[in-house]
Amino acid sequence: MAVIGFGKMGILHSGIVNAIPDCHVTAICERERLLLRAARAFLPKTVALYKNHLEMLAKEELDALFVTTPIHTHVPLIADVARNNRDLNIFVEKPLAATYAEAQTACEAVNNLNGVYAVGYQKRFSPVFQQAKAFIEKSLIGELLFFRASSFSSDVLSAGSSWRFRKGRGGVLLDLAPHLLDILLWFFGEPSAIESVKRRIYSGEVDDYVHAVMSYGSGMKGSMDACWCVRNYRLPEISIEVYGEKGVLTVSEDFVKLTLYSEAEKSRVLYKQSFDTSVPYLLADPEYTIEDATFLASVKKGVRPQMGFSEAAEVNAIIDRINENTHPLR
Amino acid sequence: MAVDSFLIGDNPFIGVSHLSQVAARERVERLQLNRIIKVIEKAISSGASGYTFSTHPMNLQILKAMKDSSSIDASFDLYPVLPYAEGYVRMATEKGAMGLIREVWGRLPVSGKTRVLIEGGLSAAKFDAVRLLKAYVDMELTSYLNVKPKKCELRTVFMHDILTDLALSFEGHQLFDSFMQHVHEKYQAKPGFVTRNFARFVSFFQAHHLSLERIAIMTPFNRIGFQMNPSKNTCEACLSEMSEGEVIAISILAGGYLSLDEAVEYIRGLGKVSGVAVGVSSERHAEETFKKLRVGLANQIT
Repeated sequence: MAVIGFGKMGILHSGIVNAIPDCHVTAICERERLLLRAARAFLPKTVALYKNHLEMLAKEELDALFVTTPIHTHVPLIADVARNNRDLNIFVEKPLAATYAEAQTACEAVNNLNGVYAVGYQKRFSPVFQQAKAFIEKSLIGELLFFRASSFSSDVLSAGSSWRFRKGRGGVLLDLAPHLLDILLWFFGEPSAIESVKRRIYSGEVDDYVHAVMSYGSGMKGSMDACWCVRNYRLPEISIEVYGEKGVLTVSEDFVKLTLYSEAEKSRVLYKQSFDTSVPYLLADPEYTIEDATFLASVKKGVRPQMGFSEAAEVNAIIDRINENTHPLR
Repeated sequence: MAVDSFLIGDNPFIGVSHLSQVAARERVERLQLNRIIKVIEKAISSGASGYTFSTHPMNLQILKAMKDSSSIDASFDLYPVLPYAEGYVRMATEKGAMGLIREVWGRLPVSGKTRVLIEGGLSAAKFDAVRLLKAYVDMELTSYLNVKPKKCELRTVFMHDILTDLALSFEGHQLFDSFMQHVHEKYQAKPGFVTRNFARFVSFFQAHHLSLERIAIMTPFNRIGFQMNPSKNTCEACLSEMSEGEVIAISILAGGYLSLDEAVEYIRGLGKVSGVAVGVSSERHAEETFKKLRVGLANQIT
């Protein structure tokens, strides 16, 4: 398989995929000369390197392609692949696109093709979040009243200079928030109404903080904060508290906690250590390995992945709605 | 085999907890430098024999402060882990992968002439991985060596698991080999590797005739198999079949999920583990932990 974009996520997926039995990274495409040279220096000579993805697609015989380039390049790349290498299986890092309209273009581009098309929302493969989802589905905390959620990181502690800080290409809403938005969609479905406020802290062109309030058809309400400028977060962290009629469900990267009001019912905390998280090969978090292995298994079986393009497009729809419903609150 | 390295891990001092990041953040805000030194001193008087730490900026301050501590003598060894990977991941987000490379390249202790040669040679096939790796190790280590207590020896220099496991995935045996050679020759220290893919690492070394005898491996071992890949059973089987090499167990408490008694019992049962590393966050915690580890593991007969 091949990887387009040999930055942080490209290196991570290459490392994982190459270590999975029967999988080999055979080609890498990267536009930046220096990154390409680093790849040449550190990777085996058997890995072919390209500057141009069309040349790579023409020359290489591939089973799957990982797209790990800056967000605004995802859709044009997907369109090129769909035109030139019909039915090639594609995995795209999240988010699928910068806007819902672009995400729809990606969906349409592969609509009549026979590949497997997945997007990297790896939190869905975390056993802790899966357990929280199961608790919600079992209605253990009764009717859902409201939630409060956050996604914080220390990624940006001064004015940044990469593509992540360019208008329409990055910002906290496209970079950090999609994982949380995806989990909220997965847990609660689509909100009927969204309002938001945003602000810049260090960045000149994009927002560093967003607060959104959501309302659902069931009557449930909720709010979320995303900020990538909070100090002392070694890793990005998601935290969600769901208040129900019968209790409270708290979930974070580390644990899921069920507090039930009735004395007859047992409250419990399950740490990630309670789950079997051993994976064939670990690089960073086990979720990434499970995500990649699941994608490759879908490719082998030719079945739809759990997080396909159309599900990922829904996250883009929410991002657009947050942007469209921002209040100046002056 | 008796455990003879009882290492203090730096996780609580730099805000890492594998059980709860919320707790880790609160703890690091509470733990001031003088408190950290008191915790380390108590750990030493309770049996700790070394400090293993990533090249996080906090550890520069800790090493500086250790210089003035009378509890630290020549029998206390240092086990740095290169690099503090999360710092680089954050830098890659802030500056982009290109910005990260430029930043690191700018800091590398490469002389003016070599720098021009390599930079000029970037257009040719001069991007020498071995040379870069060596310059990188020097860059990471120099500032720590400058401030460390003189009497403390650099016992082992570890490659961080993110680098080890990336190189392992791409079968970069040359990188392993040159790291081993450089650490041994330039620093007279033992080369070590942190890995979260222990079984794969060992079989790779054996397949490529790289000497396990010359290195130390730092890897998770705990009763519940937390971070043991591909599985607890495979890692245990691999350890029991190893005829050479030093294995230092980390995550023995599975990030605080298991009790110390459970950890001691499990590590005793494994045999073949020659060191353990544990993070401690208070003097009481340090005393209890290292006394128990010493009693439970120092003189075991298997």
